[in-house]
Amino acid sequence: MTEIRVLLAGNPNVGKTTLFNTLCGVYQHTGNYPGVTVDIKEGTRKSGTVTLRISDLPGTYSLSAFTPDEQVARDALLTSNPDIIVQIVDATNIERNLFLTTQLTEIGLPMIIALNMVDLAQESGITIDAACLSKNVGLPVVKIVASKRTGVDELVQTIINEAGKAGEKRTPLVHYPSSITAHLDAITKVIQNHREHLTNLTPEYASIRLLEGDQPLSDRLHKAGVTIPVVDTCEPAEVDAHIQDIMLARYKAAEKVTSCAVCCSMCRVMPTDLLDQVLTHRWFGIPIFLSFMWFAFQLTFSASAPLASGLEILFGGITESLGTLGLDPTMTSFLSDGVIGGVGTVFSFVPSIFILFLLLSLLEDSGYLARAAFVMDRLMHSLGLHGRSFIPLLIGFGCNVPAIMATRTLQSRADRIITIISIPFMSCAARLPVYVLLAGIFFEAQAGTVIFFLYILGILTAIGTALLFRRLVFHDDPSPFIMELPPYRSPTLHAAALHMWHRGKEYLQRAGIVIFGGVIVVWTLATLPFGVEYGSAESLAGTLGHLAEPIFAPLGFTWQLVVGLIFGFIAKEVVVGSLGTLYGGEDSLTTTLAGDPALGPATALAYMVFVLLYLPCVATLGVIKQEMGSWKWTGIALGWGILVAFVLAWITRIVALLVIGA
Amino acid sequence: MVPLSLMKEGDHVRVEQISGSGYLASTLSQLGISVGEELMIIQKGNESVIIRARGSRYALGTGAASMVLVTYIPGAA
Repeated sequence: MTEIRVLLAGNPNVGKTTLFNTLCGVYQHTGNYPGVTVDIKEGTRKSGTVTLRISDLPGTYSLSAFTPDEQVARDALLTSNPDIIVQIVDATNIERNLFLTTQLTEIGLPMIIALNMVDLAQESGITIDAACLSKNVGLPVVKIVASKRTGVDELVQTIINEAGKAGEKRTPLVHYPSSITAHLDAITKVIQNHREHLTNLTPEYASIRLLEGDQPLSDRLHKAGVTIPVVDTCEPAEVDAHIQDIMLARYKAAEKVTSCAVCCSMCRVMPTDLLDQVLTHRWFGIPIFLSFMWFAFQLTFSASAPLASGLEILFGGITESLGTLGLDPTMTSFLSDGVIGGVGTVFSFVPSIFILFLLLSLLEDSGYLARAAFVMDRLMHSLGLHGRSFIPLLIGFGCNVPAIMATRTLQSRADRIITIISIPFMSCAARLPVYVLLAGIFFEAQAGTVIFFLYILGILTAIGTALLFRRLVFHDDPSPFIMELPPYRSPTLHAAALHMWHRGKEYLQRAGIVIFGGVIVVWTLATLPFGVEYGSAESLAGTLGHLAEPIFAPLGFTWQLVVGLIFGFIAKEVVVGSLGTLYGGEDSLTTTLAGDPALGPATALAYMVFVLLYLPCVATLGVIKQEMGSWKWTGIALGWGILVAFVLAWITRIVALLVIGA
Repeated sequence: MVPLSLMKEGDHVRVEQISGSGYLASTLSQLGISVGEELMIIQKGNESVIIRARGSRYALGTGAASMVLVTYIPGAA
């Protein structure tokens, strides 16, 4: 049984993760915008007696890492000493991809090129002669279409063949000018006597890295008392000139290979350009984006309503039949009030969440989201956010946890902190059930619009937060925004449905475990001490709610609503779950809430605003701490959320009372 | 030499200088946009642009576009 360690490398958005999923038969989230993979993912594939241990690296344009995710890729490539590197090359954009190839080959490890998306290249008039390309780069080239699983078996076979041929000398791809080679020779001569400090790098490659300004490497040599020729003696301006010369030589090499291997009917007006003229238009861009979002929320609400009420009827039926079984009363209460009242209520919102996920996946796969980032950058820059912050913020609509992790694509720490503090205001899927429930009851026909404006309020609060922190704390401007816009691709329903299922599954698992646990706690508190009426003011939950009620008096929340908020800290889905438990009884939650005289549209609206903003759940708080590495900022995120929620919910209630009068 | 942000849609330009922080220059050069490179302006915002360079589309946001200094290439289609 042999094992081969494979690193998948490549530019952002060339289909590395798609290939990884195909190879390993697992599912990792992919998307049609750069920077979805921010961490190394690992998986295995068996082929006969050989096991491939595959690592999927974050996308990188070069090995001179600027952002945290690029550093992850660079470190893995340079220090993990794999058996083989597989570079995924986007056939529609071969030249820029080959720029990375020129750097990867210098590492000196066995390597293969997987030429991906050959079908799309063909459609846009690019035909690639793989044999010619292979001859020119001196590496095996395998044509694949990762999304359709074409060429994958051949790729696996090539990996196995090539990994065996370790240590073969290749002719260098890049020809540096003589001034650079003289410097490189001088450096190599010195450092080849200090191999132990080069972390597996060949002295020839290490000297290139040193001339390019690899700080960790030169630090290590300095610590060992080595003086590096050229690098240690030249002026910063000369360093820049060397870097420029090296870059230029690499681009020349990439260009040369491209011109030989690619035959392309140039200058066709691409459909992508035409679409961009409209979708990223100076004036229409933002209205188009907003109407897409509004439409998505309308559709989410109207399409899921029949399904949701069907589920509600089903759970109501189960509750009724439980009463006729003649079980122990505490057991019956636990099952009907606790389990079905809590978890069941949360489950009836599953259709809305799945439909929203499906729509977002369709937008994402089409390539539109990268445009949305650009469209919003104009606005975001003036508001103190970086254009790239937009994608983490958008992921926040699904769940805040991956959103906060996605801020790793931001280069400056100030940009990162500001984005992380703003993300919890993006309304995650867990908050949607609260809106669907309350807006459905109190705003009926306008429910979709109310929900849309809640999302907008969340976005505005996030932007306001960013503006405030940028002005008051950081003072500097966001770093400049540069982003590749991937070509539009028509999204497949199959892929979008797969996304929907995997994101939705996470929600279901949470509903199953975290929410179930939360609901049991709520039920216990609502039942104890024994003898009190279930969920009444005398129960522990009631006492807790009553204690906190005066604080929320300006907002008009009942004690049940307050208990919901307290338990919502575990996970925001628990808010609806605990309302279901506390209001548990003969009628469905909808009827009970609609009939509660203490509740009106204004209070419901204030409650929705509060739930939208008040505080991130435990999991989000945990990841904020992890990514910021600071308790101070974690505390600030927490306190700021509560303050903003209180103030805005209060204002909402006052305004709503004036306007609606209820 | 004028900032990229001042050019019109459809213009072909040559990069002459990249000012500002080293971050901008090095990020652009990773994408193949360095001094001497020719670009086409596909779309213009207020101060931001979408350009085509080496077959790919890139968005340069407010700030970035004004730091890239270019000259106009007349007659290129």
